[in-house]
Amino acid sequence: MTLVHNWHLGRRMEYPYFESRPKRQFAAIFNINRCIACQTCTMACKSAWTYNKGQEHMWWNNVETKPYGGYPQSWDVKTLKLIDNGENTWYTDEKDEKLSPYGVYEGDTIFEAASKKNLNQWAVGYIPEDKEWRSPNIGEDVAKSNKSDEYSSLPEHSRWFFYIQRLCNHCTYPGCLAACPRKAIYKRKEDGIVLIDQKRCRGYRKCVEQCPYKKPMYRGLTRVSEKCIACYPRVEGKDPLTKGRPMETRCMSACVGQIRLQGFLDDNPKNPVTWLIKHDKLALPLYPQFGTEPNIYYIPPRWAPRSYLRQMFGPGVDEAIDKFMVPSRERLAVMSLFRMAQAIIFEYKIEEGPKVFETTIHGKKFEMYNDTVIGFGEDGQEIVRTTIEEPIHIRDPKHYNSI
Amino acid sequence: MNKGFSLFKVFSIPLLGAVFLSATLFAAEEPAPGVKGMNDEEFTPTKEVLEVKYVQMDKPYHMDVESLKGAFNDAKPVNITLQKQDKAFPNGGGSVTSAEVKAVHDGITVYFQITWKDPTRNARTIAVQEFRDAVALMFPLGAVEITSAEHFSPRMGDREKPTNLWHWKADWEADLLVKGELEDVEAQYPNMHDDFNFNPYSAYYHRELITSVEVLSGGRAANNLLSQPGRGRTVEDLNAEGFGTLTTQDHQDVNGCSHYEDGVWTVIMYRSLITQDPHDVQLVPGGNAFFNMAIWNGGEQDRNGQKNISTQWHPATLEKVAWQ
Ligand code: SF4
Ligand code: SF4
Ligand code: SF4
Repeated sequence: MTLVHNWHLGRRMEYPYFESRPKRQFAAIFNINRCIACQTCTMACKSAWTYNKGQEHMWWNNVETKPYGGYPQSWDVKTLKLIDNGENTWYTDEKDEKLSPYGVYEGDTIFEAASKKNLNQWAVGYIPEDKEWRSPNIGEDVAKSNKSDEYSSLPEHSRWFFYIQRLCNHCTYPGCLAACPRKAIYKRKEDGIVLIDQKRCRGYRKCVEQCPYKKPMYRGLTRVSEKCIACYPRVEGKDPLTKGRPMETRCMSACVGQIRLQGFLDDNPKNPVTWLIKHDKLALPLYPQFGTEPNIYYIPPRWAPRSYLRQMFGPGVDEAIDKFMVPSRERLAVMSLFRMAQAIIFEYKIEEGPKVFETTIHGKKFEMYNDTVIGFGEDGQEIVRTTIEEPIHIRDPKHYNSI
Repeated sequence: MNKGFSLFKVFSIPLLGAVFLSATLFAAEEPAPGVKGMNDEEFTPTKEVLEVKYVQMDKPYHMDVESLKGAFNDAKPVNITLQKQDKAFPNGGGSVTSAEVKAVHDGITVYFQITWKDPTRNARTIAVQEFRDAVALMFPLGAVEITSAEHFSPRMGDREKPTNLWHWKADWEADLLVKGELEDVEAQYPNMHDDFNFNPYSAYYHRELITSVEVLSGGRAANNLLSQPGRGRTVEDLNAEGFGTLTTQDHQDVNGCSHYEDGVWTVIMYRSLITQDPHDVQLVPGGNAFFNMAIWNGGEQDRNGQKNISTQWHPATLEKVAWQ
């Protein structure tokens, strides 16, 4: 094992390979608050990549209802149990903006749990059986009542559920890659996309076992494993539609609820993805305690119990929800870029507009300005321009269906 | 792998000393992460010699265990102790503790018969939780003498010390028996629904779909032998030079057959004594050889390094043919 830095955990951790970050990292932000579980993303992926024989059980993108849903069933509870040492807590008194923005995780990661338990393999894990991959939408819309938690009781509802949108996290320290005894899994230097080499794979299913998110899937027909490929031809700009510009994936660009923004995590503070994740800390990693440094980030749902959310997204939850509920001027502008373009946005610029609205939310003053936000592509060319207030068009009364 | 091997051939003489030294240091003092070092005993071959007997035989019409059984009547068995693989991550195995090996040749083909106890027959790998029973023989490439002083790793070989492996798989045998020579998903899930049927041998042959099958199937498009229908064999011919380097050969030369009864597997692997392939071990009547072996118990989820292994090389001698 070597020691690598995991900024989600705010500390160094054990990993079989040296720290080697890609030039820029494939990443995305999902705003859970807006997802309607229409599964358009799920079908967009299915119809592109997994409609063939032997892939019937594969949903590289899936949307499950929490707390009861899970694909494969109970995947997260089972993995959480494997790393549970009774002290999986966070130390949050001191933080470093860059190295430990959420504090320091004091429990075990999947890698550390395996070495502590002397498993003589790289990470803890389990192989979900075929029946666990069935019924991918089990638990859909099943609510949980949780009257005891002060944060969950809305005046009208004391019950809660929310949707979680999942695909491979193209982790910085992938459990799948660590697990593969053949090094058939690789992480691309140019964009951090994690792929299984279909020639080198021998169907050992160590990745299926040791990916904590259960995103590599075994294909019985070809006797080897497959996983989300991050629609890499699109990300490489091979789709004619964007004329050579990097393009968002199938599941991202199909999102009806406009909850998704895809980009690359890099060092540019004016990159919308980088800004929301690293600077604003509005979007949080899913189960950071697993230790793989996942790269799909979530804006947590404001109505679910905080204790549940902290377990799922770490200690940054409270701050993120506060920020989401009373967005700053810049945050509101950047969030307006979600699903505005198919080409990947590399940088944004805000042009100030007039103040159009003000109110008080939970005792905090909120002011809204009709700013214009502009998104630029890799080549620096403008891709999209939008305003905070969406333009309203009133149809001419001469039409029959005019109001 | 291939590159390493050809380099070995080109530079073998001048570099051998240096390679030997670095390989020794690597193995004994500074193992790769997840790999524990080996001791001298493991570098010493066992004493018991497997005599590969020369027998005159007519090749049976069907190469099955029943028809070949008679050829092994006078062959002396060697018992091989097996243990858990405990050096390279992931460790595993331990459920099969011994196997019996017999070998004969007829001057053209060599036959190895391996028998071992396994209470469960696992001959399908279509469901995600199912793993196959398997057995492998491993031969050092290019080494005529292995001693405790002349290290040659008995575990998958080492850098610049390549090995040739013959890997019999229970599910490949099952594949051979079905039309199209690849058990389809329906074998595991009868009456399943599927929108498309891409099985090129199916009753619903659909030309357009079949010709696009490669695009739709990663393993087949990448020419992964495990994914291919119609392999025509039950044994895979491979090379390795250390943990994690196992590579399917471009040219497949080994075949085999098996029989499972009363909790006992009998597997026979056979190949021409001599082949044209530079990546193959060449077995010469009147000469010596070394081999090692491993057994996988699918019922225990054995696969890759999770296997039952012998930790030392075993010497073998090939009896001269009658006309020699
Ligand atoms: S989510 Fe799983 S499959 Fe994807 S990179 Fe991370 S460990 Fe690998
Ligand atoms: S990125 Fe592409 S391959 Fe991955 S889940 Fe989304 S649509 Fe599927
Ligand atoms: S398409 Fe968007 S809104 Fe619909 S389920 Fe997927 S993430 Fe949610």
